[in-house]
Amino acid sequence: MVMEMIGGLLPELSLIAGSFVILLAMARIDEGRWPATVAFVSLAFASLFTLAQLTELPGLGFVPQSGTVLDVYEISVFAALLKLLFLVGTAIVVLASPGYMDRASMQAEYYSMLLLATIGMMIVASSQDMLTLFLGVEVTSFASYILAGSFKSEPTSGEAATKYFITGALSSSLVIFGMSLLYGSAGTLTFAGLAEFWAGQVERYASLGQPALYLFMYEPIQAISVFMVLAGLGFKLTVAPFHMWAPDTYTGAPDTVASWLGGVGKGLGIVALLKVFLWALAPLETGWEPFVAGLAILTMTWGNLVAIRQDDIKRMLAYSSIAQAGYLLIVLPVGTSYAIAGGVFHTFTNLLMKGGAFLVVAAFAYAGIGTKLQDYEGLGRRNPFLAISLTVFLLSLAGIPPLGGFWSKFVLFSSAVDVGVGGSWLWWLAVAGIVNSAISLFYYVRWIRTMFVETTMHPKEIELPAGITTAIAVCLVAIVAVGFAATPVIDWGLQAGEALLAAAP
Amino acid sequence: MAVELATWWYVALSGTLFAIGTWGLMNRDNAIMILMSIELLLNAANINFAAFSAAHGAQDGFTFALFSIAIAAGEAAVGLAIFVNLFRLQDSVDVSKATLLRG
Repeated sequence: MVMEMIGGLLPELSLIAGSFVILLAMARIDEGRWPATVAFVSLAFASLFTLAQLTELPGLGFVPQSGTVLDVYEISVFAALLKLLFLVGTAIVVLASPGYMDRASMQAEYYSMLLLATIGMMIVASSQDMLTLFLGVEVTSFASYILAGSFKSEPTSGEAATKYFITGALSSSLVIFGMSLLYGSAGTLTFAGLAEFWAGQVERYASLGQPALYLFMYEPIQAISVFMVLAGLGFKLTVAPFHMWAPDTYTGAPDTVASWLGGVGKGLGIVALLKVFLWALAPLETGWEPFVAGLAILTMTWGNLVAIRQDDIKRMLAYSSIAQAGYLLIVLPVGTSYAIAGGVFHTFTNLLMKGGAFLVVAAFAYAGIGTKLQDYEGLGRRNPFLAISLTVFLLSLAGIPPLGGFWSKFVLFSSAVDVGVGGSWLWWLAVAGIVNSAISLFYYVRWIRTMFVETTMHPKEIELPAGITTAIAVCLVAIVAVGFAATPVIDWGLQAGEALLAAAP
Repeated sequence: MAVELATWWYVALSGTLFAIGTWGLMNRDNAIMILMSIELLLNAANINFAAFSAAHGAQDGFTFALFSIAIAAGEAAVGLAIFVNLFRLQDSVDVSKATLLRG
């Protein structure tokens, strides 16, 4: 019993051990690159244990592949697959950080907080009730606020942390207040119990001959609770109109932190929304479906339109990240296992291409190059590797075949078309997504063209630390490879989707 | 599940606190007032949890409230650290003076 519990929690325990070792050893050892090494090793162990939850690994038989820990923490394909993505994404950021983060006064804390933020996301992926979910969201949020302020002596970093903290606190209180009202109506906090309660409510209205949507009119408290949770978690995913913190935070935060927030961190919001809306609130789908679908279209359009007029690359990437949140949001109203596969897939490609793009920005910033459009002129000559990497990431974000970003968007949009064939209006989501991809290509190409424009400036070589070059190369190879081998990833995603839907009624 | 009428008085109280907290968060510029507003927001939910837990005759609401108190403490600690750093950077805890990032 105790052994099984520990076996199930090994991925999380490895990270907790790593982050605590860093925090405790920090007082004694303050020089060198050891915190990054400790963080990387603990991430490697956590990935190994998570992999053992997905496939039989010889010698790791003590890690259970499914089940629950103490009835609150599920071990499933869905949870394990997402955990693996988060761990790999964080490992890439850790790999890229030494060198760039040298100007931060607190090296050790930075790596410790990165690990803690990842633990929170793993808790969310495994949650089975509102309390666990909320704790996971908060652990990630607290660590992210601190990460955004890592450059303590730089006013922009301090401002980013301040703005992030204030909006984050508001969104957390929306989530917890909505949860308290949900608890008041349903009398339970478990996803299974809530789903049962909502199924009963919908059935009651159906027996009166009224559509489930009327429930929101006759029982406003229940409507308010659902919308508060949606808005609160929407803040975390940067869903418009709750996105206003993201451009400021991504711009002011250190570039590697922006890479984590825009890449890996995007998973927090979407996983929490998947858990709540496709499990706990699944029976109420006809009620929230039009609102969430509307938010998806609004988010992708808003993000892309505002991104057009940005002449700062970090702001452009931040708004494009909001647009990615809009694409991810397609998963909720469609709600099939194919759509969830698309969501998982896009979470994966997003952490490669968005995380990678921010890492290229970090590399340029390390070389003393600014973030404005004119600063990027002629960079194709000065460092072809970085310029070509950024080009690939941006094209992948726009969804150009055969890159990974094309396939993940393809799965998302075609899942919407699939239900559209069945007579649902949700195929409009696919139309909006395709139109938006076309719009986004416009501003991505502007940046790509700028990099390869000829300048009279004397071309000077850019020297980079090995870590960040490796990290960018990993993202580059992975995003291209995923484009040519999309099928296994979609298969994994389908299994995850079926695991999540099997839990829901 | 039916909740007694008297419980709704608690919800009215918590709703009022939540509204005050939201107003404070939106309209106050002083970082300390913002921290106090955040405490109001989080504790409004705690009142709900306690009231509903008593009404349902269950313990899980109280448990959530306990965890939530711990979370509020963590939130205050992180917030205070961020605001102290903000004060070092701009010699003021007026968050409306932090306007470097815009566009």
